[in-house]
Amino acid sequence: MTNALLSALPTAILVPLPVAVPLVVCAILLATAHLLPGRLPDILATLTALTVGILCALIASRAGDGAVTYWFGGWEPRDGVALGIGFSVDAASGWIGAFIGLLYALAFVFAWGFFGRTHGHFHILMLLFLAAMIGFCFTRDLFNLFVWFEVMSVAAFALTAYHLEESALAGALNFTVINSLAGFLMLGGIGLLYARAETLDFAGIAAAVANAGRDPVVAGGFCLVAAALMIKAAAVPFQFWLADAHAVAPSPVSVIFSGAMVSLGVFGLAKLTAVVFAGSAQVQDALPTLLTGLGALSAVLGGWMALLQRHLKRLLAFSTISHAGIMLTGIGALSAGGTGGALVYVVGHGMVKGGLFMIAGILLATRASIDEIALRGLGRGIGPAGAAMAVAGLLLAGLPVGLLDQGSRLLHGALEGTHPYAFVANLTGAALTGAAVLRATGRIFLGLGEDPGDEAGAPSEEEREKADRPLWLMLGPCCILLLLDVIVPPAWVEALAPDAINAFAHGTLTGGMEEGPLWAAWCPVGAAIALAAYALFRHKLPRAIVRPVRATQSLPARGLEALHSGLIGDYVAWLAVGLALIAGALALA
Amino acid sequence: MSPRLRLALLGAALAGLLPGAVAVIRRLPEFGATIAAYGERINAIVPAERHVANMVSAINFDLRGLDTLGEEFMLLAAITGTVVLLRGRRGENTTDRAMRLPGRAILPRSEAVVLACRLAGPLLMMFGLYVVLHATVTPGGGFQGGVILASGTLLAYVGEGYAGWRDVIRSHWLDAMEGGGALLFALCGLAPMLTGAAFMQNVLPFGTFRDLFSGGLMLIENAGVALAVCGGFTQLFLEFLEETREAAGPEEPGEESA
Amino acid sequence: MTWLPYAVAAWLLAAGLYGLASSRNLIHLVGCLSVCQSATYALLLGLGYRWGSIAPIFYDHPPGTPAVDPVMQALVLTDIVVGATLTALLLVLTVQIFKRTGTLDPEQLKPMRRRGDPAGADAPRSAEHPSR
Repeated sequence: MTNALLSALPTAILVPLPVAVPLVVCAILLATAHLLPGRLPDILATLTALTVGILCALIASRAGDGAVTYWFGGWEPRDGVALGIGFSVDAASGWIGAFIGLLYALAFVFAWGFFGRTHGHFHILMLLFLAAMIGFCFTRDLFNLFVWFEVMSVAAFALTAYHLEESALAGALNFTVINSLAGFLMLGGIGLLYARAETLDFAGIAAAVANAGRDPVVAGGFCLVAAALMIKAAAVPFQFWLADAHAVAPSPVSVIFSGAMVSLGVFGLAKLTAVVFAGSAQVQDALPTLLTGLGALSAVLGGWMALLQRHLKRLLAFSTISHAGIMLTGIGALSAGGTGGALVYVVGHGMVKGGLFMIAGILLATRASIDEIALRGLGRGIGPAGAAMAVAGLLLAGLPVGLLDQGSRLLHGALEGTHPYAFVANLTGAALTGAAVLRATGRIFLGLGEDPGDEAGAPSEEEREKADRPLWLMLGPCCILLLLDVIVPPAWVEALAPDAINAFAHGTLTGGMEEGPLWAAWCPVGAAIALAAYALFRHKLPRAIVRPVRATQSLPARGLEALHSGLIGDYVAWLAVGLALIAGALALA
Repeated sequence: MSPRLRLALLGAALAGLLPGAVAVIRRLPEFGATIAAYGERINAIVPAERHVANMVSAINFDLRGLDTLGEEFMLLAAITGTVVLLRGRRGENTTDRAMRLPGRAILPRSEAVVLACRLAGPLLMMFGLYVVLHATVTPGGGFQGGVILASGTLLAYVGEGYAGWRDVIRSHWLDAMEGGGALLFALCGLAPMLTGAAFMQNVLPFGTFRDLFSGGLMLIENAGVALAVCGGFTQLFLEFLEETREAAGPEEPGEESA
Repeated sequence: MTWLPYAVAAWLLAAGLYGLASSRNLIHLVGCLSVCQSATYALLLGLGYRWGSIAPIFYDHPPGTPAVDPVMQALVLTDIVVGATLTALLLVLTVQIFKRTGTLDPEQLKPMRRRGDPAGADAPRSAEHPSR
């Protein structure tokens, strides 16, 4: 019966709903904030997020090998010129929307009772965040993209600082300033593109870009818009804000930040480069160098920094930088396999990283600490969480099973022949981040590693999160995420991907979707286990092995830590450097 | 990084960007020569098709109404965030305990100020309403008018003091105004879909050109925006002014408060 | 001088970035961010202007009179709302930072380090060296 009802819904009605429904629920929650009984916001928010996910999946399944286009206000294009704002939903955008809805629903379950006394304000912010993400995925209008980008940012800024400790406030400040600058750059870029294209619709801009030839205005517009999206995607040298913000946000919020928000920067960049800038030879020439270069750098640097951390959420934040870099290299391959791999990777990575942040939240709630060394051996009572964390660590390293692996295999296939250094960087990033997570698992849940003695005190602030929540309610969503990553049938994705990518990129990307070799999947897993084992059993190894390793990596490690100074002035200077790098790559192309 | 090194890095980056900026500026359309085809087309067709005189309102509420919907909820997010981060709902019972800077003289409120505020307050409110109502015919609109209305309530603070101001402003009402206004706007999007039209399609009669009642659905959306902006900005003032009161007890950080 | 508005926009962005990088006061920092944003106002309004045109409001002038680009004005209106929301949120953060730390100097803020703990700056933050 439900099926009959669903198939009776015309697709044309569905498209605006995933954005409109959460907005309406937000407004109702706010208007009646002081009247609502305790658990109602939790229930409403979870159901809304699920509804959004289902609606997106419905639209995606109906998009087929084309895209569902919807014009708001009934302003259909006249003589081929767009007058209003349109949404254009292809299968890839729709399924990513469905994944985002699901991630929010699970994050709401995870956060059950976390924000009990905020009169639903937490849920309002999260639902706005959700609506903005869906709008960002679906829109085909450049300024509308900017509006959703900003709504996303504003909701995220407020959520980051929730704990009001110094770290949380400083992290939120850095996040706000850098991402606000990203918004301004994007708007400037939109202005330049509008000056050349005289329209804001993707298709119209794409036509004008193709006609413009080698045009500094188009290149400038691309430079500014791409910088904004790379700031969101935390590519080197724009990555600094991420570790400060993700490490201090409340755990359910970090789940969304790392699982969806950062990847959406990559998603936006993939869409714009394939749809809007496909006709500009200058941009297309600059992209491979720029994206594989910065992506590879982010993959390695993020992985290395992750390995250096003892603050568990900061560790995971750096691993997100590394994995966002891996996604960027895929887009830089400028092939169907590369972009397809990156999009599959977005979903797989979101599930695994979301699960990992939930485990960090469980430790904060039940063990009142987030410091790996202070937590040594304290995880013994919550074995299932340890098992989940070990599985997540192996998946992150590239264990050849599940969605994340499918994505990284596609990336390997696309990069192996054409961009060998990016291929190696991808393997390195996966190995380093996997090693960091596995080491933390071993230390926390098995009590491995050297007894820290008086070093056990964490150098960062004391942290804890609301403790009186049942364990299964927090562990359940985490296990569902990891399970989903593993059980999504590869054959289904394989069948869906070629048409979906073709529709996503409007046919501008070529090449097949070959998977990389199996050894490339096992290599980082082996390296991750070896690295984690070295870190945990170092005190039992002969000094002749340990000393040279320590001596060679100590200095660069301290240099890297010093670069991530937490000072906003430094970050702004690096932002300008990044902008100059993009401009330089465009000038040389 | 030392500040000097940081500025050197920034300077080098900006110097590197300079040739690019010059190249872009040289190739931009000449200032003041022409306007984009999109804007030209809107100027040409909208007065006849929507019977409104103000093109900016027509874009904000009709052609690109979705942007304004997003913008409205962005404001809502910022104000909700402010309430959450300032741990709102304080100060309603402690109206007499202002924080004082030691050593600064406390001057009584001058009668001239009170009189000026009492005279200007209602006038400002009238002006705000005027700006709201004339959204489709003059350079007005719900956002601009809503901000004016909200600043009108600030005059009550200046004239009557914190206690008097808090007597008339109730935080729950502001929530209801803000949420209700945003809800009205969102429903203006969904309601036309019940008739089979598109989201936010202008299905109401358009009225007469240059008349107060022109633009159909835009008028309702405009009222929603005015309500939400007025409520939202007053809430914002309230939250910041609560910071001038001494907290009743020590503030608890983290999730236990709020 | 047809390039002047655009050059002003570029200059405002650069000046704002300089201010952000060198700021020693959070309220000044918020102001610098607004300066950066003004660059977008100048650029958008500059692009939308045409000599000899009226404002895009056909009340005193009949429809068909040359008018400036209404799209840019609508975009700037949205941009102003963005500016207002960001300023509000940043000032909230500033208020809370001052309450928690007693300073407004961004150079004094150290995320992820414990304040007032002399060992805080030197204690190993790295998990690689639990017993250095």
